[in-house]
Amino acid sequence: MKPMVHVIDDDESLRTALLRLLNGSGFEATGYGSTGDFLLRHPPDRHGCVLLDIRLPGGPSGLELSAVLKEQGIDLPVVFMTGHADVASSVAAMKGGAVDYLEKPITPQALLDAIGRALTRDAAARGERLERAALMTAFAVLSQRERQVFDLIVEGKLNKQIAAKLGVAERTVKAQRASVLTKLGVSSVAELGRLAERLRQCRQ
Amino acid sequence: MRWTCVCLATLVAALLPSGLVQADTPRQVLVLYENNRLLPANVEADRGLNRVIAGLGRPVEVSAEFLDYPRFGGETYVRTISTYLREKYQTHPPAVVVAGGNGALEFLLRNRQALFPGAPLVHMGIDESFLAGLKLPGDVYGVPVRYDPAATVAQALRWHPRATRLVVVTGAAAPDRELDNALRQELAPFKGRLSRIEYWTGLATPELLERVASLGADSLIFTPGYFMDGAGKTFTPREAVTKIAEVAPVPVYGPYNTFIGTGVVGGRVPIFEAMGEMAGRIVNQLLEGRAVATLGLPAVMPTKLSVDWRQIKRWGIKESDVPGDAIVQFKSPGLWDQYRYQALGMLAIVILQSMLVAILLIERRRRRMAELAVDKHRFELAHASRLAVAGELTASIAHEINQPLGAILSNVAAASLILESGAMQPEELRQILEDIRRDDVRASDVIRQLRKLFEKHEVERTVVDLNEAAVEMAIVLRAEAKRRRVDLVVREASGDVSVVGDRIQIQQVLINLVLNAMDAVADQREGHRIVTVTVMMVDDTASVEISDTGHGIGEEDRAKLFDSFFSTKPTGIGLGLSIVRTLVESHGGKVWAENRPGGGAVFHVELPAAKRIRRLEVA
Repeated sequence: MKPMVHVIDDDESLRTALLRLLNGSGFEATGYGSTGDFLLRHPPDRHGCVLLDIRLPGGPSGLELSAVLKEQGIDLPVVFMTGHADVASSVAAMKGGAVDYLEKPITPQALLDAIGRALTRDAAARGERLERAALMTAFAVLSQRERQVFDLIVEGKLNKQIAAKLGVAERTVKAQRASVLTKLGVSSVAELGRLAERLRQCRQ
Repeated sequence: MRWTCVCLATLVAALLPSGLVQADTPRQVLVLYENNRLLPANVEADRGLNRVIAGLGRPVEVSAEFLDYPRFGGETYVRTISTYLREKYQTHPPAVVVAGGNGALEFLLRNRQALFPGAPLVHMGIDESFLAGLKLPGDVYGVPVRYDPAATVAQALRWHPRATRLVVVTGAAAPDRELDNALRQELAPFKGRLSRIEYWTGLATPELLERVASLGADSLIFTPGYFMDGAGKTFTPREAVTKIAEVAPVPVYGPYNTFIGTGVVGGRVPIFEAMGEMAGRIVNQLLEGRAVATLGLPAVMPTKLSVDWRQIKRWGIKESDVPGDAIVQFKSPGLWDQYRYQALGMLAIVILQSMLVAILLIERRRRRMAELAVDKHRFELAHASRLAVAGELTASIAHEINQPLGAILSNVAAASLILESGAMQPEELRQILEDIRRDDVRASDVIRQLRKLFEKHEVERTVVDLNEAAVEMAIVLRAEAKRRRVDLVVREASGDVSVVGDRIQIQQVLINLVLNAMDAVADQREGHRIVTVTVMMVDDTASVEISDTGHGIGEEDRAKLFDSFFSTKPTGIGLGLSIVRTLVESHGGKVWAENRPGGGAVFHVELPAAKRIRRLEVA
């Protein structure tokens, strides 16, 4: 499936030209006249990016849009285009999560490079999100007792110490430990440590 | 009490002028003329005499008596007139007696002691040769006259070099005959110069005039006139010469100044008035009791060339041949002489008017120069202001141009991709080319529009449609409005909203006002930044209203709003609205601002409609 590029610019002529270029460059490009139009069309959560004119008349501005998208859970990298770059708006754009900031007139190469960077970032983010989702799913399978055992293992406690802490036999802890490793699909305690670290990051 | 009376008396005595007593008894002067009182010579001499005596500054009474010779005469007459004079002047004895003419002198020399004992005698108008034959007592004074017929004839011959015949006319009375004798002697020297000198003595006037009338062009007439003609008819010499000159086909000359005006050309003559004046001076000297000798009297009265200008002209005598010291009479006064004061007045008026006109012209020129300078200044300022606007619009202008440029680049890249892919998509490529062309036109349109607005231009007066001007303004400011996220709304008027003026300057007015309005709404949140431009036509006035949704105008700012260098904006230089007012007023319109009831400000621009201006121009 081709990466999807959402082109939002009120200038029809420029939009058409950009769509042509992007479609010809192996993307699936869709044009919108305004940010409102874009939001109303409910873009699918698909690998891609947004190419957005930073100043659009009517409806939310490009900067606002990027905030709204985050709220809606659509996490697409945004490449801003601007007719007139100034420090204030570029800083704001970067804070708003822009991956790139293109000044018009945009040369095709600069555009494609920026799109490429945005897509790479999207792909990375998307992969990370998937992995994290898988991790969360697996972790959700653990029972209450198994989670306690997991936490204590990650803390580096020995089976005997865990057994003492939970007030169960050491043998029972051993069995539960094997079950955790199996459920999370890891083979060693070291791997489990890395997993825990990832999980901690996700929770934050 | 007594002292007071004395003082008063002294005072009165001191105040009474001592001369008053003398003033009551004026000195008497008697002038006795030989001839008739109407004889011009007597009139002139009397005038001169009286003028000089009046100038003495003392009261003198001058009486004049006339012997009326030669009309009256004889021993009886002389006795009668002697008695008359004696009786008449017994109560007013003259202090000085003046004799006017030979006869009067003779009479007085004979009868003075009997009539006016002790009175000194002054004579005037006495012929030099006559005086030479008399033995005068010591108390007789006067300057004799030399009638100079020879000089007159010499002058006449100078003026009429072709004359060969001189006719001398005299009369039949005793003095006439005396004169005739004298003339024969005096004119004898001209016998060589002239082929003929004829003496027509004692002819009857009709015969004389007939002969005079038949004189040839080679003749000249010299005549002292006569008192009586051959027929016994009496005349004054002036009357006689008048008759002669009337019929004479040749120039007539005479020895007396009084002949001037009768038709004679003139002559070298003694001046009777001068004789009177001379006698007057002697009389004054005698009345003052001073020695006459101290006056330094001349031996004879000087003669002068006296001419009648009309005769000079009539006989073709060249003006340059008339000596500069000649007494010229009847010189028909030129416009200058006749209307000197009027002419001077007119001249003064003309000069004043010319000066006024010159001043006005200079003033007008200066005003025109000043106006031109102001125009140029205004023009430069307006242009500078437009450039400032251009600076302000740089960002949006760049955007306006970059959009189509970016589109072109993308389209070109897309076309390249299509060609590289080898896919035959001619329809797509054609569409791309068409889009490229359109974007190119679009970019160049923006540039052209801006150049039109920002380049220097000659100020024009054309019909400008305010609807069009508003729309064009909106095109220029569209991108700027977008950049500032301001809604710019233009409401055109339905009918004709033409004004007369400079399109660029009118657009500049609108641009400045709209930019000002955009600044005013900058603080508002998005969606509430609205600038509305409304074009209207009310009666003969075209107007544009620019309203905004800003904070309105502060009360203290309103008065200074249109002043130069007044700005409420931190970065404004305060020229925008000042230029607006300057330009609107140079178009005969007015601009003012007020706050809207619902908040925000509204600027009104009123310009006279083109139809009104046309009507005025037709009218």
